[in-house]
Amino acid sequence: MTTMALNLWQQMRMQTAIWISLAAVLFAVLVGLALVASMGVPLSDAIVAFADGAWGSPYAIAASINRALALGLVGIGFVLANRANLTNVGGEGQIALGGIAATAMSLYGGASHLPGPLPFIVPMIAAALAGGVWGGIAGVLKAKVGTNEVISTLLMSFIAIWLVYWCVQSEVLLRQPMNNTATLPESLEIPDVTKLPLLTGDPGMPLHWGLPIALVLAVIVAIVLDKTVFGLRLRAVGLNPTAARRAGIAIVPSILLVLFLAGALGGLAGSFMLQGEQYSLKARFSSGYGFDGLVVGLLARGSVPGVIASALLFGFLRSGGINMELAAGVPSAIVMVIQGIIILTLAGAAFWMERKKSGK
Amino acid sequence: MKLEMLAVFAGSSLRLAMPLLLSATGELVSERAGVLNMSVEGMMLTGAFAGAMGSLATGSPVLGLLIGIIAVMPVAALQAFLSNTLRANQIVTGIGINIFVLGATTTAYRAVLGSRSRTEIPGLGKWSPPFLGDIPYFGDAVFHQTWMLYAGLVIVALTAWVMRYTALGLAVHAAGAEPRAVDKSGLSVMRIRYGAVFFAGFMSALAGCFLSIGDIHTFTEGMTNGAGYLALAGVIFGNWKVGRTVMACLFFGAATALQFQLPAMGVDVPNAVLIMLPYLMALLAVGGLVGRQSAPPYLTHAFVR
Repeated sequence: MTTMALNLWQQMRMQTAIWISLAAVLFAVLVGLALVASMGVPLSDAIVAFADGAWGSPYAIAASINRALALGLVGIGFVLANRANLTNVGGEGQIALGGIAATAMSLYGGASHLPGPLPFIVPMIAAALAGGVWGGIAGVLKAKVGTNEVISTLLMSFIAIWLVYWCVQSEVLLRQPMNNTATLPESLEIPDVTKLPLLTGDPGMPLHWGLPIALVLAVIVAIVLDKTVFGLRLRAVGLNPTAARRAGIAIVPSILLVLFLAGALGGLAGSFMLQGEQYSLKARFSSGYGFDGLVVGLLARGSVPGVIASALLFGFLRSGGINMELAAGVPSAIVMVIQGIIILTLAGAAFWMERKKSGK
Repeated sequence: MKLEMLAVFAGSSLRLAMPLLLSATGELVSERAGVLNMSVEGMMLTGAFAGAMGSLATGSPVLGLLIGIIAVMPVAALQAFLSNTLRANQIVTGIGINIFVLGATTTAYRAVLGSRSRTEIPGLGKWSPPFLGDIPYFGDAVFHQTWMLYAGLVIVALTAWVMRYTALGLAVHAAGAEPRAVDKSGLSVMRIRYGAVFFAGFMSALAGCFLSIGDIHTFTEGMTNGAGYLALAGVIFGNWKVGRTVMACLFFGAATALQFQLPAMGVDVPNAVLIMLPYLMALLAVGGLVGRQSAPPYLTHAFVR
């Protein structure tokens, strides 16, 4: 087969994938609408409330995009690790660790006394490192003992969720000083200098510096995956570890590095959520963003542009869903139903696509 | 520790371990057959919801239990179909089902009960075994439990026996260890694996019903709250063996019970640490720090004839 024919073939497969994804999303949204209708809420009310919350104002748009940033970073990490055939389901825990590290660094790590833009950059780096180490542990277990990374990253997510809980419950750790009985189990608000600066300076449009940072990272990862030797190595490790080892590729460092990087992206997502949106660490800090980010990565089918598209989709879905509950009284849980249907439809559809590929 | 406290502790450990024990036993069978059924959480939640609603609607908790079991079957069918027939990624389908069920039960719960969310739901009755129930201190605190707990223990014991001593148990083990050999011997790997997933669904339904109509007689949104994943951890920590899995679940139950017990004893251990403990133990187990792990070789590998 010539290179051109191969490219054409790949393009066609890509297009089928996009159409199937769109069909799955459409189907899921229709089911969601049918559910809304069956609850006796006028469809127009629900749709208006959804649109208002998702893109009805500059504020809403910015909030949706900020949500998409965290989802997208986890998704990119997933795609990166998945290139080496590793499934990182630990986004939730990596976000949590990132949040803890960013909070600790902002409040007690002295970041706020640093000059220039360092006060908000240093906590971000700390968060990425913490997430990276959390992901890297799964890499070590995989490389040394052969532990399935799905199981280890999943278990570590739960451990991390409760670590956050511990941190905000205990005054020795990150809980705010208990001045009276009404102080909530959460950290102090981080100093203003450690918050991510807004792009426009207009609080009505709270897009922050995370957006350009995430976009640059997305471009870098896309290039690394498709145009560099490292990307090719990952693919080789993923497709056939034995052959890759024979070809002289060091498997263990590859696994460690890629899981570290995926974790670092998750940690960074956590720092965006903390320094760009929530400003204080609370018990349910990660609130499902890691698991949603995993789904974003799955939907993307290995492509970075795909991650961006599905992260935006889920970001807007989340914002719209929240407002639908507030304004129209429709449980935002309907969004979960929609997400679940998308995941299951695509998981099932993979069968037909694989069969087409192998020509059976 | 006073004797009364010890008795209360033992009783609540057993009660809290029970949902894990049931669902982990089901999950164990499914994993032994080669299907990583990550949707335990969703199956349990479906069972808890349908059981509670059924009990509320009919006024009979036993009918509720039946409805709970029936309601989980479509979920099990979906999981089995996706992971066996469509050979979908078993982790993805599991997570998808869990998200879907959490959304669906929450939505349905609001639609059905709405503001009446504090309604008491008729629950299963309690029962004390003869003699054991008469032991001073312990009789009431430990053995006076819903009859479902005893029924559950019997089912777990039966499962252990079937898995160990019968041809059916051998076939299930083989489907996850040597699916090709099973196929050559004339048995259907597909059928065994479908059956195993349905069994996991049945056990998860029991576990869910135990939570909603056995233990606390109410349903709350997302009430399983990770118990399904804990059951998965139990199977891992139990090294895919019934006996050890049972021990792991009992231990997890005790760790959970300690959360309520330690403050009463004046010991200051953060709650979060105790809740985290089971996951940490499971991680140590899969990390090879607690002896060698031996997962079924063909776990998560769909069978292609």
